[in-house]
Amino acid sequence: MAWDLIFWVLCFFINIALLASSFYQLLSLSDLEADHLNPFEAATRINSIVLPEFLLQGFFCLSFLLTWHWFMFISTLPITVYHLMLYSNRKHLLDVTEIFRDLNTEKKYRFVKLAVYLLLFTVVLFRLLSASIFFFFAWKFEELDIRTSLFY
Amino acid sequence: MQFSIVKSIEDGLPLKAYAAEPDAGLAVRVPINNKPGSESSNFRLIPPGAPQTMAPFSAAGPSPPARFIDPSVPSPPITSVPPSGAPYQRFPAPPFPSAPQTPPNRAPPVGQPPFQPPTSQVSVPPPSFRPQTQVPPMAMGSPPQNANFPPSRMNVPQPPSDSLLSGPRPNFQPPFPGYPSKQPVVSQAPSSFPTHQGSFMPPPAPPSAFPSQQGSYGPPPPVASNLGYQSRDQMQHPVSAPPIGGVQSLTEDFSSLSVASMPGSMEPGLDYKALPRPLDGDVMPSSFLEMYPMNCDPRYLRLTTSAIPNSQSLVSRWHLPLGAVVCPLAEAPEGEEVPVINFASTGIIRCRRCRTYVNPYVTFTDAGRKWRCNICSLLNDVPGEYFANLDATGRRIDLDQRPELIKGSVEFVAPTEYMVRPPMPPLYFFLIDVSISAVRSGMIEVVAQTIRSCLDELPGFPRTQIGFITFDSTIHFYNMKSSLTQPQMMVVSDLDDIFVPLPDDLLVNLSESRNVVETFLDSLPSMFQDNVNVESAFGPALKAAFMVMSQLGGKLLIFQNSLPSLGVGRLKLRGDDLRSYGTDKEHILRLPEDPFYKQMAADLTKYQIGVNIYAFSDKYTDIASLGTLAKYTGGQVYYYPSFQSVIHGEKLRHELARDLTRETAWEAVMRIRCGKGIRFTSYHGNFMLRSTDLLALPAVDCDKAYAMQLSLEETLLTTQTVYFQVALLYTASCGERRIRVHTAAAPVVTDLGEMYRLADTGAIVSLFCRLAIEKTLTSKLEDARNSLQLRIVKALREYRNLHAVQHRLGARMIYPESLKFLCLYGLALSKSVPLKGGYADAQLDERCAAGFTMMALPVKKLLKLLYPSLIRIDEYLLKPSAQADGFKNIMKRLPLVAESLDSRGLYVYDDGFRFVIWFGRMLSPDIAKNLLGPDFAAELSRVTLTEHDNEMSRRLMKILKNLRESDPSYYQIPYLTRQAKLMIYSSS
Repeated sequence: MAWDLIFWVLCFFINIALLASSFYQLLSLSDLEADHLNPFEAATRINSIVLPEFLLQGFFCLSFLLTWHWFMFISTLPITVYHLMLYSNRKHLLDVTEIFRDLNTEKKYRFVKLAVYLLLFTVVLFRLLSASIFFFFAWKFEELDIRTSLFY
Repeated sequence: MQFSIVKSIEDGLPLKAYAAEPDAGLAVRVPINNKPGSESSNFRLIPPGAPQTMAPFSAAGPSPPARFIDPSVPSPPITSVPPSGAPYQRFPAPPFPSAPQTPPNRAPPVGQPPFQPPTSQVSVPPPSFRPQTQVPPMAMGSPPQNANFPPSRMNVPQPPSDSLLSGPRPNFQPPFPGYPSKQPVVSQAPSSFPTHQGSFMPPPAPPSAFPSQQGSYGPPPPVASNLGYQSRDQMQHPVSAPPIGGVQSLTEDFSSLSVASMPGSMEPGLDYKALPRPLDGDVMPSSFLEMYPMNCDPRYLRLTTSAIPNSQSLVSRWHLPLGAVVCPLAEAPEGEEVPVINFASTGIIRCRRCRTYVNPYVTFTDAGRKWRCNICSLLNDVPGEYFANLDATGRRIDLDQRPELIKGSVEFVAPTEYMVRPPMPPLYFFLIDVSISAVRSGMIEVVAQTIRSCLDELPGFPRTQIGFITFDSTIHFYNMKSSLTQPQMMVVSDLDDIFVPLPDDLLVNLSESRNVVETFLDSLPSMFQDNVNVESAFGPALKAAFMVMSQLGGKLLIFQNSLPSLGVGRLKLRGDDLRSYGTDKEHILRLPEDPFYKQMAADLTKYQIGVNIYAFSDKYTDIASLGTLAKYTGGQVYYYPSFQSVIHGEKLRHELARDLTRETAWEAVMRIRCGKGIRFTSYHGNFMLRSTDLLALPAVDCDKAYAMQLSLEETLLTTQTVYFQVALLYTASCGERRIRVHTAAAPVVTDLGEMYRLADTGAIVSLFCRLAIEKTLTSKLEDARNSLQLRIVKALREYRNLHAVQHRLGARMIYPESLKFLCLYGLALSKSVPLKGGYADAQLDERCAAGFTMMALPVKKLLKLLYPSLIRIDEYLLKPSAQADGFKNIMKRLPLVAESLDSRGLYVYDDGFRFVIWFGRMLSPDIAKNLLGPDFAAELSRVTLTEHDNEMSRRLMKILKNLRESDPSYYQIPYLTRQAKLMIYSSS
């Protein structure tokens, strides 16, 4: 039971990190649009965290597969696949020379990602709560398994 | 970050909040009446006394609105031949049956169809039909309307009622320079012209004659084949019926072109004469300038249409690009230089909110204490030193001493707030490939000699700085310290970790180190003459140059002779892969292969370094990757495939000298502001955007133009006039920081027809060209061409919808007078090097180089490249020397059709980048002998043209020289060719 709780806590933090990264990228892009940031700096900032984010997200997705959380795995899979596709086409980094031309698509892409991460976040939060409740109060209702009745 | 300050000064606030009050003050200066009925008269108001001064465009443009209207006229396009031209008369007789041409000239205008009364076209005898009679249009002209016009309208076709019947016609001709020249065509009798006639109204087989174009541009071939004149007339008769003629909105001017066949003729297809041809080159729209005399000259700023649509829905019906082409530093003819103004202590007068510079369209109120910004209509205070009283009409009394308040183009001297660092000195840095292929081609020698000869003329003496790096598999630095007698060479062979061996002295002041630099340039060719190194460490050398230059910025000239093969940025021989053409991967060939180049380009712009690439290889050098450096740093690409100093030396010498000596603006940024409600959304050309609307241009000169597209932010514009202001902040070579400001106003219209009337083909084509080239970077060539064609077709269809129904034009293509060359240029664009064909039609490198060049070309040069001039010169060469002065007379451009070429003639074809000298098959051998010397019978492609010691050869050289001088930005080398070898595309 303790492992379950630890796993969800870990997922919780990973998810927060992903959210933060998306949010930061989006913020940089809006700053760029509003002329608070020059394109060179914006591109450096964003490009420096693109790969870490991809790796983290890959790990996130893989960990669900390995722990046999099918629902979570399926729901994170699309983003992973999209990341892989971007990476293999070498389109994952912002092109500083054409940054203004791509600005709108890049923003849209990050908005969608942010929304997906938020959705995941709610699910993860819920699972974390249920795991912790189960862990701390399991002795109270041993005969009633919340997890099984709710999620399986 | 060094740019932050620039930004805050040159900041782009025009888009932020604006006051909502209407521009009451502006209306005084620029009265625009948008009432549908009176529009036309407003726009064409021409100063009474000066009809002759009207430029051809306006003459042919709005003023004779009715001219082309008559639908029953088969193909008026002829009328659109630029008036001054009289092109057809000029044909040396041979090419065509000559007989018909003379009679027309003499034909009295009276005999022409023009005089038919509006209602009676049916009665016109067939002969008058032939010709795209421009006149019948008068039928449409509404008498009431014309009657209202003041005498100034004399140059407008008279209302049918008088001109047609009373025959004062001849009197009207002078004001119409166009007419005389057209008349020949008009009166060509069918009988005398059997073949051509046929083509006016081509026979039943148009589809075959006009394969794709016709289908797309015009409606399907009409009934035509079996329609006689009579039936045709009857069909269209209603058009000219009086009731319709009386409606003012019908004074819309347009031309039409029949793609149908003409009964009774043998010849299929269109008559090439019936098609409009831009034989006068680029004609700038002058109507615009007449409306707003205080606008900047169109050479600096051209709008694709000078009428700005007032609503989104109108924009969506305008299928052509909506935007502008800006050439901020265009060369001004003597006497029209941009005045330089120094406000000194006052500071530059700008709007507080939108940062617009003071310009002729601002209005002073409150007894001269306030001024209202024309762009955001905010009331600003007039600084004490700038105050002047207003006279009774509200004008400042010191107006004539304030060029910034009368002229659309001015240059302000910028105070220190506009600098982020002391103005940089002009700086030229040369990165020269010295590998074996460079040595063999003779490139190094020409380059060294040219640079040496230009040392005196480099701008910015005595502050000019200069430096050199050469490279093969290693990088050679040169210490040029002024205390040395000879330059010291330092070789760095560690390509992975580039360092600069000397912190200073690689970049030296030219006037101090002049001797060392000269010694270096003298010895450069011999230094490497035995070099057998085949490698090219281009990437590391570029990085080294970047490190040396990054302190100051400047201009980096790269001479590259082979594919970069060592170190970072090495490129593969990805070559011209036949298999990838036509697939989704095709465009990748036209993109830089290695991200190094884009990153490098971004870094170079950041440090104010502009790159010009000179590429010489006979093999694949991946111009797509190398050119990226020039593209994002505001530079250009010069490509000399298979460079041989004997053949191309002169071209390189001239173009390099031009590059080094032309006036250059350093560390520049450019922004274009426009009134509220509209916004520039995309920019096209060679530069990098530094913020959403700020173009970074490390080095910019008169040969660069930039295009931009605008869109409406609001659904409805309420103002009557929109203002545009281009501001270029730069460091002049003399070390002064300056702001060049061009201001223009354009009316807001509610009517699509007005937009078409004020359209500017040159600007539209220029934007189309850039859009299409950009499209080739993301999709197939074919897609780029198709989307171009589709947009033109849509635009013409929209125009047709405006008029076709009410005029019952049947199955003919109609187009506005202002866009008569659009189809032609569209086709020429599809056949231009960056867009044409597929794999086999142009080398990949050539395609890319042409693409980079065309992205920067000013409108005029682009149009010349798309529709080159062809002139016949043999007659001039044969003239006795006494008459030889009539040089101007022979410079008549011929239409680019096979019929223009006579096998007995000698022609020069000039597209601004090269000459093709065409020897007719039956050209007298004397001429060839005189011009070519003993080689005259040899294979011409191997002969180079040199001056021989005889009058004829000297005259030819003089002609070529004059042609070159008319446009010095590129040097044309002559290619000789004999008939049957040259393919000149026919532009039909």
